[in-house]
Amino acid sequence: MNSLRADLSIAVGGLNLETPVVIASGVWPYDPVLWSPERLEGVGALCTKAVSLQPREGNRGVRVWETPCGMLNSIGLQNSGVRGFLKEYLPIAGKSGIPFLVNLVMESEREVRENLSILRESGDAIPAVELNISCPNADCDGMAWGISPESAARAAAIARSEWKGPLWVKLTPQAPDLPAVAKAVESEGADALVCGNTWLGMAMDLKRKQPVFRRVTAGLSGPAVFPLALRTVWQVCGAVSIPVVGCGGVSRWEDAAAMILAGASAVEVGSSLFADFDLPRKISEGLADYLADAEIPTLAGLVGLGRKEKEGGRPWAQD
Amino acid sequence: MSCGGSPRDYGAAVLGHRPLGDGSGLLAVRCEEIASCAEPGQFVLVRPGTGNDPFLGRPLAVADAAGDVFKVVYRIVGRGTALLASKRQGDPVTVRGPVGRGFFSARGEKALPRKVILAGGSVGAAPLLFAARRLGMSRIEKTVMGVAGKGWEGFAEWLKEAFPGVDLYSDDGTAGKKGTVLSGLPGSLPPDTELWACGPQGMLRAVAEKYPLDGHRIMAALESRMACGMGGCMGCVIPTVSGNRRVCVDGPVFTAEEVMWNELSSC
Repeated sequence: MNSLRADLSIAVGGLNLETPVVIASGVWPYDPVLWSPERLEGVGALCTKAVSLQPREGNRGVRVWETPCGMLNSIGLQNSGVRGFLKEYLPIAGKSGIPFLVNLVMESEREVRENLSILRESGDAIPAVELNISCPNADCDGMAWGISPESAARAAAIARSEWKGPLWVKLTPQAPDLPAVAKAVESEGADALVCGNTWLGMAMDLKRKQPVFRRVTAGLSGPAVFPLALRTVWQVCGAVSIPVVGCGGVSRWEDAAAMILAGASAVEVGSSLFADFDLPRKISEGLADYLADAEIPTLAGLVGLGRKEKEGGRPWAQD
Repeated sequence: MSCGGSPRDYGAAVLGHRPLGDGSGLLAVRCEEIASCAEPGQFVLVRPGTGNDPFLGRPLAVADAAGDVFKVVYRIVGRGTALLASKRQGDPVTVRGPVGRGFFSARGEKALPRKVILAGGSVGAAPLLFAARRLGMSRIEKTVMGVAGKGWEGFAEWLKEAFPGVDLYSDDGTAGKKGTVLSGLPGSLPPDTELWACGPQGMLRAVAEKYPLDGHRIMAALESRMACGMGGCMGCVIPTVSGNRRVCVDGPVFTAEEVMWNELSSC
């Protein structure tokens, strides 16, 4: 992206991104054509689809359901397992020349330990890991690892002990006290936080008079959740010092700018790519124009600018 | 124009809109990139509006393509298709495509059969119309179409015009003969003949079950709810003998013997 009117490069959690636009996990297929620079214009980094220790078939029944300004999904982390990923997909991601993060499923301590030890065999071929702590905790009560500060810290500590490279931890907005979870994960050595994942919702099928999804609940994403996600980004950025990557409902450059003003160093885009493949380029161009027009020389200068006290004003309330 | 590869998004314009009655219609869209590359069985995702609501594109099979124009057939089933039905000549529309493996590319190196029977249910007729044009009339053994009945008269008239000599059935006999697509199919598939089918899942399953030993000669274009149309979201998978496969990029055309019909959820 040489034509941008401002330099959008930024260092986030151990990765140097050319732009702050990251493709969220679960969106981009391993189609070599789609990993070409031409199809990734404006993209700073990519998160792979979820990788679990063993292959997963994913959920049965309806998997996607459109909602007002968004969608629900219940895919069930269908993937070919970490061995399948290394054999079939890592070569595709590696050839692209773009930074990527392997999104890791964590259901049990054993799973994440083994998964990371297998990933370590590939050495430098894997630039970074994004740990998904939204999965149910198979070792404990079945609640997601990311729900409580204690279990989230445990998850982060295990991943940190097994993975020395860049480690991003993707939080879940279902946590009742997200800032506390964020602090706990930060204290265990995560390099960045992704805030956050889909929002738990459901849909009812009026024709069949039963829930649409076999698992009843599903993850809500898309522009509908943006104000909710922005609020969590604001709260988490107020609680931690490590970089935060905003994620949730970003569908235009203004959303990205809002999250960065709230303190995010980058944003992830997911569902809105389903509506527009060209979104990363459009967001990057919009952000660059915004910086240039405001005469802010670097993207870092925009990070958290919206939190600054105005002259003579009072500090913003943190809650 | 280089074809192949993953689908792209295009800003296009509605060139013509022909209502077919009863909430269905034929939309002609000017988009050279899709029209020049699409093959029968492939589809496009048409975004009904310009904003975030409705959020996703509607998957619609290409019903014809020539020059820089392609056509799709819709029937109103919800808010998105109702918006499509309101499109007029000149209206801008965003389209993603062409998506998927069509009837020709799905067969790989396998040669075309001497004869093809076309079997379509309701708007499943659309990709078969395109297939018939590309196959040439001499290769079409027979065309059988089915519609629900009352409320489909206008659509049935269009089917008769689009497929001269079509064997037409409706559940209640209001259009064509009383019966279903299956009523018009032969007891066994003649040698060197394939059956190309598109329609509701129940119809496709019934067709597959009618010829249990000839699944390899039945090519079925499936429908599924989907979000991305590029193989990313895994929203549209169906169970097959080789595991869950994506309707959008691994299909939508599968041989009947690949699909595990008993495990299909009617989504």
